Amino acid sequence: MSSVDEQRSTESWWRSLEQLADTPRFRALLDAEFPAEADPGGISRRRWLQLMGASLALAGATGCRWQEQEIRPFAKRPDGRVPGKPRRFTTAMPLGDAAIGLEVTTVDGRPVKIEGNPRHPQSLGATDLLAQAALLELYDPDRSRNVCLRSGKEKGPRSWDEFLAAFRQQADRLHKAEGAGFCVLTEAHSSPTLDALHAEFLRSFPKARWFEFDPIGDDHQRAGAVLAFGRPLRTHLALDASQVVLCLDADPLGAHPAALRYARDFAAHRNATAGQMNRLYAVESSLSLTGAAADHRLALRSTEIPAFLAILESVVAGSGDLGEAPSEPVRRFVDAVAKDLLDNRGRGAVCIGPGQAAEAHAAVHRLNALLENVGEDRPVGYTRVPHPNRPSHTEAIKALADEIRAGRVGTLLILGGNPVYNAPADLAFGEALQAVETSVHLSLYRDETSRQCTWHLPRSHFLESWGDVCSYDGTYSVVQPMIAPLFGGRSPIEVLAVVLDAAREAKQPAAGPEELVRRTFCQEIAHDEGAAWRQTLRDGLLAESRWPWETVSAPGGPKLEATPAEGESKDGGLELVFCRDASVYDGRFANNGWLQELPDPLTRLVWDNAALLSPATAAELGIENETLMTIEVGDRQIRMPAWVMPGQARGSIAVSLGYGRTAAGHIGGDTADNVAAVGVDVYPLRGTSAMTVVTGVKVEPTGEPYRLGNTQDHHAIDTVGRRGRQQRLGSLIRQATLEHYRQHPDFAKHAVHHPDLKSLWREHAFAGHRWAMAIDLSRCIGCGACVVACQAENNIPIVGKQQVLRGRAMHWLRVDRYFRGREDAPEVAFQPLPCQQCELAPCEQVCPVAATVHSREGLNDMVYNRCVGTRYCANNCPYKVRRFNYLDFHKDLEDPDNEVAKMKYNPEVTVRSRGVMEKCTYCVQRIQAAKIEAKNAGRAIRDGEIRTACQQVCPTGAIVFGDLAEDEDGRESDVLKLHGSDRAYALLGELNIRPRTIYLARIRNPNPQLEATDPEHDGHPG
Amino acid sequence: MTAIPVDDNTVQDPTRRAPLVLGDADLASVTQTVCEIAERPRPPTSWYVAFAVSVALTGGLFAAVGYLIVTGIGVLGNNSPVYWGWPIVNFVFWIGIGHAGTLISAILFLFRQRWRTSINRFAEAMTLFAVACAGVFPAVHVGRIWLVYWLAPYPNQMDLWPNFRSPLLWDVVAISTYGTVSALFWYLGMIPDLATLRDRATSRWRQLLYGLFALGWRGSATQWHRFEWAYLLLAALATPLVLSVHSVVSFDFAVAQVPGWHTTIFPPYFVAGAIFSGCAMVVTLAVPARAYFGLKSLITMRHLDNMNKLILGTSLLVGYAYGVEVFMAWYGGNMYEAFAFANRALGPYAWAYWLMVTCNVIVPQLFWIRKCRTTPWIMFLIAVLVNVGMWMERFVIIVSSLGRDFLPSSWGMFKPTAVDVMMLVGSFGLFFTLFLLFCRYLPMVAMAEVKAVLPPDRGPAPAVEVD
Repeated sequence: MSSVDEQRSTESWWRSLEQLADTPRFRALLDAEFPAEADPGGISRRRWLQLMGASLALAGATGCRWQEQEIRPFAKRPDGRVPGKPRRFTTAMPLGDAAIGLEVTTVDGRPVKIEGNPRHPQSLGATDLLAQAALLELYDPDRSRNVCLRSGKEKGPRSWDEFLAAFRQQADRLHKAEGAGFCVLTEAHSSPTLDALHAEFLRSFPKARWFEFDPIGDDHQRAGAVLAFGRPLRTHLALDASQVVLCLDADPLGAHPAALRYARDFAAHRNATAGQMNRLYAVESSLSLTGAAADHRLALRSTEIPAFLAILESVVAGSGDLGEAPSEPVRRFVDAVAKDLLDNRGRGAVCIGPGQAAEAHAAVHRLNALLENVGEDRPVGYTRVPHPNRPSHTEAIKALADEIRAGRVGTLLILGGNPVYNAPADLAFGEALQAVETSVHLSLYRDETSRQCTWHLPRSHFLESWGDVCSYDGTYSVVQPMIAPLFGGRSPIEVLAVVLDAAREAKQPAAGPEELVRRTFCQEIAHDEGAAWRQTLRDGLLAESRWPWETVSAPGGPKLEATPAEGESKDGGLELVFCRDASVYDGRFANNGWLQELPDPLTRLVWDNAALLSPATAAELGIENETLMTIEVGDRQIRMPAWVMPGQARGSIAVSLGYGRTAAGHIGGDTADNVAAVGVDVYPLRGTSAMTVVTGVKVEPTGEPYRLGNTQDHHAIDTVGRRGRQQRLGSLIRQATLEHYRQHPDFAKHAVHHPDLKSLWREHAFAGHRWAMAIDLSRCIGCGACVVACQAENNIPIVGKQQVLRGRAMHWLRVDRYFRGREDAPEVAFQPLPCQQCELAPCEQVCPVAATVHSREGLNDMVYNRCVGTRYCANNCPYKVRRFNYLDFHKDLEDPDNEVAKMKYNPEVTVRSRGVMEKCTYCVQRIQAAKIEAKNAGRAIRDGEIRTACQQVCPTGAIVFGDLAEDEDGRESDVLKLHGSDRAYALLGELNIRPRTIYLARIRNPNPQLEATDPEHDGHPG
Repeated sequence: MTAIPVDDNTVQDPTRRAPLVLGDADLASVTQTVCEIAERPRPPTSWYVAFAVSVALTGGLFAAVGYLIVTGIGVLGNNSPVYWGWPIVNFVFWIGIGHAGTLISAILFLFRQRWRTSINRFAEAMTLFAVACAGVFPAVHVGRIWLVYWLAPYPNQMDLWPNFRSPLLWDVVAISTYGTVSALFWYLGMIPDLATLRDRATSRWRQLLYGLFALGWRGSATQWHRFEWAYLLLAALATPLVLSVHSVVSFDFAVAQVPGWHTTIFPPYFVAGAIFSGCAMVVTLAVPARAYFGLKSLITMRHLDNMNKLILGTSLLVGYAYGVEVFMAWYGGNMYEAFAFANRALGPYAWAYWLMVTCNVIVPQLFWIRKCRTTPWIMFLIAVLVNVGMWMERFVIIVSSLGRDFLPSSWGMFKPTAVDVMMLVGSFGLFFTLFLLFCRYLPMVAMAEVKAVLPPDRGPAPAVEVD
């Protein structure tokens, strides 16, 4: 040993011979084991104290660490992209075999708001509420996130690759068998690319079968056209060219694929100021938006409508054969309508709803032909239909079920749809599905059908995928992805392409979805080499691509019986009518909170469906409002709550489809996760024999109370309340007949008389912009799209049924619905109510902390971070448009699974915390954005440049926003003109609060022939 | 306990002044009677039982408030349109209760109503505790309780003042002034009595604590002189508060434009109602307390008789106000206001309205009958009913008016939750906890003042009145 070593050994203790030897290997080992030892200097006392102090402090801080997030700048900024700057792209929302053109605003790559595409003929800038709510669906954390296998013992998540590997083997086998035993089920669609792939699929698998089923379809329209013209055709209305419109169980303004366009045309032709007004008649069993907008409405059971139509046809044809004499009111109605239609030959339209049988459709075609309403420049026209050769949806699903039951289906590929939930009940589709060896379901959610299938595949949302659609009038649009699939989903096009690739035994996919869509576009739509492609993407549609109106032969078809068939007579059994739900459609949107919490336009029900009964029927059956009743059809029975609904036809029960989902998600119900279903599933009563109207229904009251979620309880009300409401209705909703309006154009100004109004204090002086709004009650049809648009724009939370029942719904904008007149034939009026931005705002005076103050431009601003939540402002608001965060309504976002839901928020709008008041601000963020833009450009803000979310979405253009100040050239803005209109009135103006929102009185155009004998229908308030 | 024969001093005999203290009480026995209550080494078991219940309820109140703070206002029944619910009802109720104390101690003092001396301490304590209970509610019913201090006008880095046009701000000022003045008045009047307790104290702790709060009172003529001046001045200060506080509270409603709130009659109507309910609360407390603590000779039947007359008088005022409201609603020709009152009387909250009318207007009419005024159990029952009625009055004003204002689309009903109920019951717990502590440790009757009104032969040398 060296002397040094000797010294070491004597100076210190040693642990091992290695240490004593101090070999390099030992040093390395030591360093790895005790890193501190690697520091030859060791740790000084001071350093040790520092370190210990710091670790103690940091140990305390572990609990409050933020989640680590990486922020990476773009090393190279993509062209045209400025962080935080909203960009707009066009796309289209497919729904059934139609679509609406959209313009989606994205911020930093995430879609935050959906608007209508102004260029698109089916949108004209407006959207319906379903399109508005699609944003929430996109970011729904309940959406399926992975491929899932359910087969014997093998269960659980899989990857796409695993599915493809498994499927390729199947595809090989099927390919060899030429597709025998291979079936595909799709939902209704109008995608040319999917059609092309369909054709290719049938070439690859000649013996395979393809079915198309949608629970809400056009079976009767197609069958009716076949009866009348010998081929399926689609009926189109030009409501801007029609002077008289008769709707038979039809809802062209509400539940129609082209409702947006129709509503715009209808409203455009209802301009009282210009003295030009159409007249709308509705004959229907259940109150619809069209019925509510009608000048005359006759509540008639759906099963009696063919008889009505037969009488009308006879009267119009002048044949005089009326069959069994109809009741007096019906007779009077028929005479008036017939006279009106005949007087307006070529300028009228008769339309009929999808619930009516094919024979009735044929009769309507005959009637329109008889009245010379059909043709170019006439109100009615016909075009081709997509997939003219397919069987009806009902036949298709029945055929598929029969195939399965016959054991002829080995592989079933279900592209979208949810047949286990919504196929006709007599097919017991879920049960049949068990017999299929391999069933694959592509779906946004792991829904009822997915859970019965071998494979579940996550579907990409239409905002995440490439696709193409034809809208109701045939206008071609490309569906562009706005964002990469959030949960790795794929579209039906992609899945089908994968199937075809597998059949071709191609290692590499032949083409991506964009390529496929583009190929279809070039080959089949535009017939060019892609020159129009970019323009189509940019515009959101291919110009002039709508289907031409076909010339049709004289319609034929069997004559209708003027008397209802046996068992359907007036005193016969009850009828049950299945309705498309205004918010959840057929149930596919059941997990969408915005839609669930949106009050139904007419019943005002939220988070529930109910059996709608007329007051008379309810009394006859002994059913109380909001109690459970049993409904029996054949051997199938359900229990559901009753809702007594004025305007419902006597003897007719209406039920909404789409509720009672058991595998929708955490909003719509998920029994596997102990989330109760929302509402009651009525599909069990719907069989192949009667998909729209069922007769011979047995109903029993149970007397068991059931509280329905409702935002505006109008019916069950005490006498005092009822009287008080009737007393003030005339001043709240001011309306008159066209005739009265012509004689007294200023009638709206005289509905309320009050002494001169004097202000208690010095008023605000307004210089510069004076923002204001005008809402035309003549135009508003009450659809509720504005409510959802407002919710999407302003980050308004949903609160759930219990909180709605407690009166804590958060909508900034609500649409009030009022009835007047008789219970069985009520007149309906809608009144959208945003904050009225009073100039002398009562809320501002009482806030102790000055959290709500007036802006120089006349906005009643709400300073969220100053609000302490005394709620005094809301008490003092006569319109009750302020909303208070009673609880933390964003609590669900704390769940890490819901992280994605945060992406839906508009980054320009604060997400409010619990305990603060909030309210409509005329979309102040949009005003500011426009101001900044105008200032940067060095120009004044143009009239119409700023549009509030509610205004932008409104299909009828009932809401107008703008500046009351004249511009530099002294031009009046639209809103200023409307404020000066003779119909303009301030709601509760007598309180001297000077609302900046004014209403334009509602003008109706009743038929004097019907009006005169109906004293209840006095058109104007006293 | 010294047995003092109870005489009847309720008979009106114009030839003689009715004695204010009964029996053969003299200076020593008054001191003895009052002090021994606070000096007992341990109170009777029943005190403990009552205290335990009250403390438990107080715990319930704070648990409910804690839950409310953690979860949000949504745990209450408040909704849209009824944005204010039970907390504000309770607030107005308790503030009203407080009024009798100030009335008795200040106004009756200024008017030389010497009969007030035996009950004023008691009533003042009640005022203070009622204000404490009232103070809980507006503070915890705001959405963001942790920022409630923003209502106070204080210089701050945000450079923001509260909105001086808001009645809620006036409220903050009125209530805090009222609380301060009531506390000062009560304490000031108690100083000589605290000194008595100090002088009689046997334990060191008692000597120290009573000594501390007696502020070195020696009973010298100078001290008495200054004391009486200070008391008079404070009484003069407190008197306008009796009228102002509830007037300001009523502005919370009258200034708003809600039909049923927006009426000019509210300030006097609220003040009358407040005194009415406060006197009823005094009777509710005094009847059992005088029996329980053997104070019948000091708090005599004549005192109660007088209180009952006050109740009857204010009941008539309140009834008149109800009538005027209804008349004005009709006469004013305002559709919304007319509806608000029709709705109160015949609408869904008609039961509350008629309960209110019964308890506040009809039942107190029994006090026209002398027997009802002088029979403890009857007056106790009536007083309790008046308290119920006055709570209902605030409920009717707040809930039924908010429930149905201008637009029928926004009408709604109010349904209280368990938290609402717990907070109301708990506030009574808090009130009685404080009251029981007061009975246990402090002189319940103003000894020094009572001694001044003893019959001349037994009292001190004729007092020289301050003027």
